[in-house]
Amino acid sequence: MNAPQARQSTAHRSTTMFWTHVNKRLSSYLHGELRPEESRRVAEHLMICRRCRDEYEEIKFGARLAARLSDDLARAQAPAALWSELEKMIDGAEAAPKRPLAARRPLKIALAGAAALALALVVFWFYPRSPRPAWDVTRIEGAPKIGSKTVGEAGKLRVGDWLVTDDSSRAEIRVGEIGQVQVDPGSRVRLVESKADEHRLALARGKMQAFIWAPPRQFYVDTPSAVAVDLGCAYTLEVGDDGQGLLSVVAGWVAFEWQGRESFVPAMAMCVTRPRFGPGTPYFSDASEDFQNALAIFDVAEKGSDARSNALQTTLAKSRKRDALTLWHLLARTDGDDRLRVYNRLAELIPPPPQVTPEAVMRGDHAALDMWWEKLELGSAEWWRIWKGPVPSQTK
Amino acid sequence: MKRGAVMSEMASEGRLIEACQRGDREAFHELFDAHKDRVWTIALRFTGDENSARDVTQQVFLKLFTNIAGFRHESNFKTWLYRLVANECMDEFRKNRRLIPLDFFRPAFSDGGDEDCGEVEINDWRQEPNQEERLARLEVSKAVLAALMKLKPKLRMAIVLKYFEDLSYEQMAEALGCSMGTVASRLNRGHKALARRLAHLKQ
Repeated sequence: MNAPQARQSTAHRSTTMFWTHVNKRLSSYLHGELRPEESRRVAEHLMICRRCRDEYEEIKFGARLAARLSDDLARAQAPAALWSELEKMIDGAEAAPKRPLAARRPLKIALAGAAALALALVVFWFYPRSPRPAWDVTRIEGAPKIGSKTVGEAGKLRVGDWLVTDDSSRAEIRVGEIGQVQVDPGSRVRLVESKADEHRLALARGKMQAFIWAPPRQFYVDTPSAVAVDLGCAYTLEVGDDGQGLLSVVAGWVAFEWQGRESFVPAMAMCVTRPRFGPGTPYFSDASEDFQNALAIFDVAEKGSDARSNALQTTLAKSRKRDALTLWHLLARTDGDDRLRVYNRLAELIPPPPQVTPEAVMRGDHAALDMWWEKLELGSAEWWRIWKGPVPSQTK
Repeated sequence: MKRGAVMSEMASEGRLIEACQRGDREAFHELFDAHKDRVWTIALRFTGDENSARDVTQQVFLKLFTNIAGFRHESNFKTWLYRLVANECMDEFRKNRRLIPLDFFRPAFSDGGDEDCGEVEINDWRQEPNQEERLARLEVSKAVLAALMKLKPKLRMAIVLKYFEDLSYEQMAEALGCSMGTVASRLNRGHKALARRLAHLKQ
């Protein structure tokens, strides 16, 4: 097979797997029993297949119930009388004709014992320990440091350690078995937590690019003003010296959260986060400059101020059909007349379903907002609701 | 567990098994003490009945005693034990299909008056300040236990080994004498069956 044919074949295989249902592998996926590449394929498929997502939800619910038992029930204590009863049975069994006991082969036993000890030592040294106590760091260029030590070609980042890159350094962190993060020059990253269901970094300054193939909500990045929650995706996160952050999503979805304020950011969209304000309103990166500038003012302006009102007006005036993502989030970030203005503009761009009345939207009815979301064609509201819970809800 | 402790435990178990293989009854008593609660828990959660769990546990240790001379140290002892328990549970199921006694949940609802039969003790619930919350949890656990008992035996055993013993798929496959794919399939079906039976608990 020549190179182009091989590429085609690989692409075909990849596409086929993307579309192949994954229902038989959902428990393995949930329990982290799949190889990383398989896990990533399942995550990708779940994003596009409602049938498998529904089944995954069912399995997750069943697993949660089963886990409840082991959480709630202590290990049972065998009855005290069991040994004496057993001894009688053993005596009875010994009285019956039987094969010679191993005790008559002392040399063999001694050899077996020695072998057992040797085996124990071998198993002890080579047995893979889980969870991993540290994440692997690979130097890409320059001289990144973990704490005060320069990373040679590779190093280990333990919980509490800082990875620091200067202006000419770059490094890659292997996030357990679930993904990888590239840390760009001028960054400070700390490993905060490394557990089976929570992998957490803190980005104090700089820029990182994350590619995660684990089930949603297993990888978190703390920034000074928001937490980025992975929902199965690839994204870039930057934090400036002033603590302001910028999230750009390449694939999948990311939730940006801070003290009850939430933004859900799909592929090709961005979201700014600011100290004291938390995550701003998400927008597509190809939105007009005027739209982006007005939105930035709206996000920080005082509620009820003219500046905020004017910014909202510009945002709405400059919005395209594709900016429905932003307008839908604005419904939860406005109230009164402002919410009505957002409602009217969003209804012009994407007419709501008949059941979604202005009254329902004005009172913030989650079911109505969900129904409208479905019409935005950004993906089902259910799939991220599954992994998160309520719709973005807050007002500043 | 610390490295030294792991080594010490493995070496210690190796010595214990070696002594059992020489026919040392005291050593076997020690081995019994080390594993009796594990075997009892699996048997009790699988059968849902103390009498059946008692039979299973006794048979497991009797077989262990009579066959330990043939145990090869290149195998993992715990896996061997899990396999004995799983087989014995399935035998017990075949012998006696009426495995859910009416008083199965009684100890779970006992508030401490009947300590001797507290095999289904609830973790730390007595420390929870909110009585209403505690009762709600008890109700859910009771429903889940009842649903577990209604699963097909192979699915039930997979759920018990996964959630009470926290075994990996590989360990479960060895213990159950099947492939990891079969383990995954049984867990899939078990999860779904629990979810469907208890759909009313989903909020």
